[in-house]
Amino acid sequence: MKKLISIVIDVLLGATVVALVERVIVPSLMDVKPWAFSSLSMSIIIGGAVVWASIGLLRGASLGRLYTGLDIPEGASRTIVSHLGWIALTTCIIGGWIITDISPVEFLSGEGLQGAGRIFGALLTPEFDVIGAALSAMVVTIFTAFMATVVAVPLSFVLSFPAARNVMATSPMGKTIYVVLRAILNIMRSMEPIIWAIIFSVWVGIGPFAGMLALVIHTVASLTKQYSEQIEDVNDGPIEAISATGANRFQVIWFAIVPQCVIPFLSFTIYRWDINVRMATIIGFVGGGGIGTLLTQYQGLARYHEVGTLVILITAVVWTLDVISARVREALR
Amino acid sequence: MPLLSVRDLTHTYPNGFQALKGISFDVEAGEFLVIIGLSGSGKSTLLRCINRLIEPTGGTITFDGADVTHITSDALRKHRAQIGMIFQHFNLIPRHSVINNAMYGALGSMPAFSSILGRFATDIRTRAIEALRIVGIAEKSDVRADTLSGGQQQRVAIARALMQTPRMLLADEPVASLDPSTSHSVMSYLDKINNEMDTTVICNLHFLSLVRQYATRVIALKNGELVFNGSPHDITEQWFTAIYGEDAVEVEIR
Repeated sequence: MKKLISIVIDVLLGATVVALVERVIVPSLMDVKPWAFSSLSMSIIIGGAVVWASIGLLRGASLGRLYTGLDIPEGASRTIVSHLGWIALTTCIIGGWIITDISPVEFLSGEGLQGAGRIFGALLTPEFDVIGAALSAMVVTIFTAFMATVVAVPLSFVLSFPAARNVMATSPMGKTIYVVLRAILNIMRSMEPIIWAIIFSVWVGIGPFAGMLALVIHTVASLTKQYSEQIEDVNDGPIEAISATGANRFQVIWFAIVPQCVIPFLSFTIYRWDINVRMATIIGFVGGGGIGTLLTQYQGLARYHEVGTLVILITAVVWTLDVISARVREALR
Repeated sequence: MPLLSVRDLTHTYPNGFQALKGISFDVEAGEFLVIIGLSGSGKSTLLRCINRLIEPTGGTITFDGADVTHITSDALRKHRAQIGMIFQHFNLIPRHSVINNAMYGALGSMPAFSSILGRFATDIRTRAIEALRIVGIAEKSDVRADTLSGGQQQRVAIARALMQTPRMLLADEPVASLDPSTSHSVMSYLDKINNEMDTTVICNLHFLSLVRQYATRVIALKNGELVFNGSPHDITEQWFTAIYGEDAVEVEIR
């Protein structure tokens, strides 16, 4: 199995390296547009991948073997692995440079610098006429994050117990629930809140409610994971002691597990609110309401003095919350 | 009829380790039975099989005439509620008050719902204070359990066990994390409960001097097998080396 995975990795890696060279680096050096994707081009890539992978098969030395933890013979093979690694890294850096259009010339061109100067100038001379609207939008953002956290906490609390291995491992049924729940949570967490915000802004309309719902989903997924890991970390002693009195499952959870988790749960929750305020700002860009929405509006109108005000306000609030939440979490420990 | 009867008890952990390899013994009501043996000899596993924190993989355990080897749910909780247990590390709920910790001993006999709402009946509170008084720590009832010393915590744990009005008390290395003088205080409370409240005690111990002072009978385990069953005064030098190995030297605790 490991061997198969290592070969797959080597083939994909070889294909990537050769494709970067053949379709990005060489055309760029020859200063032409990449040629049409043809069967010739395809076979070059496949050929390269096969050669790359066969080095690993013949010499027992490849990055795939290194990744999967398979044995790599001493001596020449080690050198081959390190050469392969450097080739892959160098190709990716050169290819990446070309793909992302990195251009120091544009970065430092007179016209570009002038534009940047204009925006920075505007940001640094904020227009405080909008401060009223900005503050009320900021309040919306903070409370969007706050309500998302408030709604998510009880849900996460309830879900965290079936998502904890030590609570569920007692029966095969429990184990199944644990595995399924963890998988769902992982998928939920992998979808960025900004995507949820797009979904909900269609569902319930643009505004703070959509933003809150998006944050709730992400917060439940993250907090449940953190809570359940804390539950898995509790001391078994009190669990034994409470079980030994003849207490039932819920009493054991409530009297032996929960007291050990309350403080860390609080700490995670406060941190999550802090994160949610930042996320609520970003979510505002795609219709989640609050200061993010205001920011995109002014940016769309190219009114950078107003944008400057908003940026200063956001920075101040995020920084303040960061300090407060760090202090509170410190005090809780 | 013995209160507890253990027959051919075996326990193999999921990783394949055989902790108990066919143990048989009886315990009469009122005995103070001490189990000795090296760490890893199976003492803790044996105690946990008796109140079924661990399910045996073979053999039978009969308590008060009923086979409890494989009981589950309600029957299991009822069984556990009759047997108090104290632990080497006390296992109190750290941030909760002493009186609450004592009252948790009554969890097995009260409805789950009202206990979770924190509705402990007045008589449970009264009994908890009484139990704390028996172990001489009633004046600390409102302080947080984790602010107490080890010996005090162990006494709270005993009070918690007393709340079950147990027929039998299991003590797993109750003094192993305590200093010598505190050890004697804790052991004397166990002795008092054994003598005055007629509670049968089964206790895992390390120190032979304590064994001779408190035990009415001793069993010894070695590698999961029962190698001695008799009076504490019959543990001679020879038995001692047989149980603890050639290099062992007896340590006195006064």
